[in-house]
Amino acid sequence: MKPWPFEYHRANSIEDAIATLGRHGEGARLLAGGQSLIPMMNLGLATPDLVVDVGNLSDLAYVLVEDGVLRIGALATHNTIMEADASASACPMLVVAYHSVAHHTIRNRGTLGGNICHADPASEMPLVLTLLDASMVIRGARGERVVAAGNFFIDAFETEVEPAEMLTEIRIPAQAAGEGYAFEEMSQRKGDFAIVSAGCRLSIRKGQMTNVRFGLTGAGAQTRRMSVVEAKLEGAGPDDRLLAEAAELAVVNSDPSDDIHADAAYRLDLVRTMSRRVLAAAVRMTAKQGAL
Amino acid sequence: MKDQTRRIPASRQREKPGQKTKWIGTDMKRVEDPRLLTGQGRYADDVSVPGMLHAATLSSPHAHARIISIDVSKARALPGVVAVMTGEAVARLTGPLPCFSNPPVEQRCVAIDRVRHVGEPVAIIAAESRYIAEDAARLIEVEYEPLPAMNDPRKAMHAIGEGVLHPARGDTNVAMHRNFSFGDVAGDFARATRVVKRSLRWARSGAQPLETCGAVSEYDSATGKFTIHVNSSMYNYVGWLLAVTLGVPVHKLNIIPTIAGGSFGSKLFIHKVPVISAVLARETGRPVKYLEDRSDNILACDHHGSDRFYDCELALDHNDKMISMRCKVIDDYGAYFQFDIGHHGNALSQITGPYQIGSVEADITAVMTNKCQQGAYRGFGSEVSNYVMERMVDAACSEFGLDPVEFRRKNFIKPEQFPYFIPTGNLYDSGNYPAVLDKALQMLDYDGWRNKQKEARKEGRYIGIGLATCQERSVFSATEFWMLNHEAGFALTSSPEGVKVKIDPTGNAVITLQAPFWGNSPETMATMILAEHLTMDPANISVTYADTDSGIAGTGPGGSRFTVMVAGAIVSASQVIRKKLFLLAAHLLDADPSEMELFDGKVRVKGRQGAEKSIADLAMMAHFFRLSFPDTPEFDTGLDASCTYDHPLTTMPSEDRKDLGIFYPIMGHMCHMPVVEIDVETGKVKFLDYVAVHDCGTIVNPMTLAGHVRGGTAQGIGSAIYEEYKYADDGQLLNANFADYILPSVNEVPPNVRVGHVVTPSPFTEYGIKGGGEGGRMGAPPAIASAIEDALKPFGVKADFLPLTPAKLRGLIRQATANQ
Ligand SMILES: Cc1cc2nc3c(=O)[nH]c(=O)nc-3n(C[C@H](O)[C@H](O)[C@H](O)COP(=O)(O)OP(=O)(O)OC[C@H]3O[C@@H](n4cnc5c(N)ncnc54)[C@H](O)[C@@H]3O)c2cc1C
Repeated sequence: MKPWPFEYHRANSIEDAIATLGRHGEGARLLAGGQSLIPMMNLGLATPDLVVDVGNLSDLAYVLVEDGVLRIGALATHNTIMEADASASACPMLVVAYHSVAHHTIRNRGTLGGNICHADPASEMPLVLTLLDASMVIRGARGERVVAAGNFFIDAFETEVEPAEMLTEIRIPAQAAGEGYAFEEMSQRKGDFAIVSAGCRLSIRKGQMTNVRFGLTGAGAQTRRMSVVEAKLEGAGPDDRLLAEAAELAVVNSDPSDDIHADAAYRLDLVRTMSRRVLAAAVRMTAKQGAL
Repeated sequence: MKDQTRRIPASRQREKPGQKTKWIGTDMKRVEDPRLLTGQGRYADDVSVPGMLHAATLSSPHAHARIISIDVSKARALPGVVAVMTGEAVARLTGPLPCFSNPPVEQRCVAIDRVRHVGEPVAIIAAESRYIAEDAARLIEVEYEPLPAMNDPRKAMHAIGEGVLHPARGDTNVAMHRNFSFGDVAGDFARATRVVKRSLRWARSGAQPLETCGAVSEYDSATGKFTIHVNSSMYNYVGWLLAVTLGVPVHKLNIIPTIAGGSFGSKLFIHKVPVISAVLARETGRPVKYLEDRSDNILACDHHGSDRFYDCELALDHNDKMISMRCKVIDDYGAYFQFDIGHHGNALSQITGPYQIGSVEADITAVMTNKCQQGAYRGFGSEVSNYVMERMVDAACSEFGLDPVEFRRKNFIKPEQFPYFIPTGNLYDSGNYPAVLDKALQMLDYDGWRNKQKEARKEGRYIGIGLATCQERSVFSATEFWMLNHEAGFALTSSPEGVKVKIDPTGNAVITLQAPFWGNSPETMATMILAEHLTMDPANISVTYADTDSGIAGTGPGGSRFTVMVAGAIVSASQVIRKKLFLLAAHLLDADPSEMELFDGKVRVKGRQGAEKSIADLAMMAHFFRLSFPDTPEFDTGLDASCTYDHPLTTMPSEDRKDLGIFYPIMGHMCHMPVVEIDVETGKVKFLDYVAVHDCGTIVNPMTLAGHVRGGTAQGIGSAIYEEYKYADDGQLLNANFADYILPSVNEVPPNVRVGHVVTPSPFTEYGIKGGGEGGRMGAPPAIASAIEDALKPFGVKADFLPLTPAKLRGLIRQATANQ
């Protein structure tokens, strides 16, 4: 289980990393925390001929709030983000969801940037960032561009980031005061990738749900925000029957497939259950916060 | 049923149970731990020899194929590569691997002509580094002609022609079919009032030791001798067979054990790995290390667990007494057949469980398929029959509305019925099953949980209380290796364990064991027993492991035998030393040896104040002051003993195998009671409580025993809920990694498996000790199945297959809801 032969370059700046990628072409890969790339290389699933290690770029490891936006450097580790006061105050949903991501040791090395560039369809953070209306800052030879999460994730293991580009920052608008949110997943073991996960945010104004964000992983080929479900809830009162219908709608709009851990029928059951649970929990949370 | 025609050999027990002990029975801290916990254990991978090369294998991507051609030229040309050998080249230097079946199924360490499972080595490489060796493997070009892959034993058993794995053995994949019937099965079923039937499935899993199999070999061309460092067990028993494979006289092979980083049975006897490293060492003239990586271990370790399909019937009489059981079992052995159907011998040693069942029939079909072969995994096949027996008991209870506690109690063998012959001819030496059950019920607060269960159900929560009362056979006898085969190849009857004890001139002791450390606590156990017997301070005892050059007879751990057997050997050796100490002291103190006694590290004359000599003084005298003693041989210099302890209680099987003889008699017992809660929407099983009460006779060290129970229970949880090797129709193993092969982690195992003990000493072993190394895994699966079924009673779900993964369990619930 050794990787195929490869060259190694330790980047000393973002510019150096991007320039090296540009010079080398398709066969080069960035290395951040290595928690996805290294196992893939050991299993022969990734065979880069040049590894550009950006793990040393500590100036990209920040987590801070600025002008109502949580700004996360691409090289901040999962644990840094999970434990940062900035995350807890601006985007508590992120912190809640992090409890389902991997194990302590993995989170100690793995970065959010690496996680979303890897874009595993079963991964939690792509969904959570999508629901949080995050945007990603991508740097290339010709400068920077900012891509909304909704457009960033193209397909399984495929993002907007081009081979000679690097993700540098994740920006998440702070969650509104009083909004309800919930994240739930079913995985075989704690810390495993989810079989199905569901996330939801919403506010309740004058008895009506508003700014509803709802989505799932494991319900189809890739991370998805389910706008039909959001539309059904937007503007309506949060009664149990409606939430159950919304969960049913999520089921109807899912097209999961079988794999060795779960068949499609099981995934559909989980879509129903997880959807209902997160919707109910988010509503409950707004109710609680309203009472304060 | 007690059968007077069956003979029970006289007990050879010397140290009686129940004596006042200073060390035995205490939670002495493990003497192995300091070096292991500080990272100073020396595992196979830590062995490094100057000039050492590293080996890798090219493994087959096909489940079943002919090898048409192999081109190794590119691999050979890679800088850093020293040797590349195909199966043919290896076959010029080695013979087939040791195999205990008859007729043997030929297995080579590197395949020739045909590959029979994914991961089977096709070529081997020795290079300056493992990296280069793996790069070279990728440069080897092999042309294969695929053959039909056999994935399902129920189909494979009917295949002929191209689908047959070993045509040389006949045009069939049935490796062995045997029908064993003990007692009047037909008559008992005819007079039964009620019969319950079930089809049960036990899926293939594996031990997954943290450290894989590894060996470092050297070949000295001047002497023609191999030296192999390997993390295998049984090398002082059957290690000589490797010399046969390597084509050298047995004294031209020295096997040096390294500690094993976990085995759970799977390192019982490692053959492929040492032979690969040895043949490369011979070819290159340099030392070679071969350490399986995780894929090698999962795909080709030769030690997958049982993989069985059962059709089972249990007969009850009008008093709700179980009177007979019969089962048909198809066992998927994989591509080779190294241990014959020994796994079913394990099952037959306790197939009727703790119950008085008068007759039993087992129809066994061992089938070969294109999977890694079966070997040993904690329970060695008897964990499966425990599951089957307990499932049948639960099935009878649920089908006939019987109380699972009282039904078991009623059918138990009663304490006064021991020693007790079961229909197969095996003997249970002793037991007290009601006491174990009562203790478990009380520790769990069974009635309390039944109430909580009722309350929870009102809230729509599904809590289940599991119950399994099962056997833990221990101390196998060698007859079980061959007795199920009417044409046994090598009908051996010895399974000894030897120790050497040496008292140095300053009075400290070194114990030499003949089998390696493999994750259990052999040093702690041996230290405690010698300290007990010689009244020594454990701090003055150390333990080491013999290589084969210096080793004496020893079988090694397996079948929960090591503690019992080592205790026997230590008592023997200690008696020799004691006798010599008494002789020396008596001479020095002007007394008779018969007047002497050992007390607190001193030999003293009974009842004579101050007339004493310390072991240290006597040891110095014994080593250096020969002229202080009479000129007779019993005073000759030195203070040591090498002793071998043979199986304490075994007899031959009958010619017709209607009686298998006594072969696994030191019978432990356990009651496992898990409490689970099931999320019926996700199928997730959560443990709310877990009680495991074990009776392994006299306990040497309750703390290490509890460790065995808890670790085994964790593995049992794996087998019950999470673990299964998933082979696809084309024979690919779909989860050959730890991301997809789901081992329970600390989060999935109950934080506190509450362990209790009942002590029913064996009348046949020293101090009354019984084995306890496999218990957890032999009790947890049926207990968990029972808890799950209990929780889901409102749905009528049956736990007739394992593992019950969340997806599978949810599927059963969905089906049941749809049917309601
Ligand atoms: C046992 C285990 C359990 C896990 N469980 C989970 C889980 O439950 N949920 C989950 O979501 N993840 C899980 N992971 C994956 C984990 O979250 C990884 O840390 C993460 O996917 C990758 O982050 P990394 O920093 O390690 O990236 P790396 O492995 O270094 O890189 C991953 C990929 O991203 C690219 N990349 C990295 N940084 C950048 C950048 N700044 N710009 C452009 N491309 C970049 C790399 O080239 C590579 O292709 C698990 C991993 C393990 C080993």
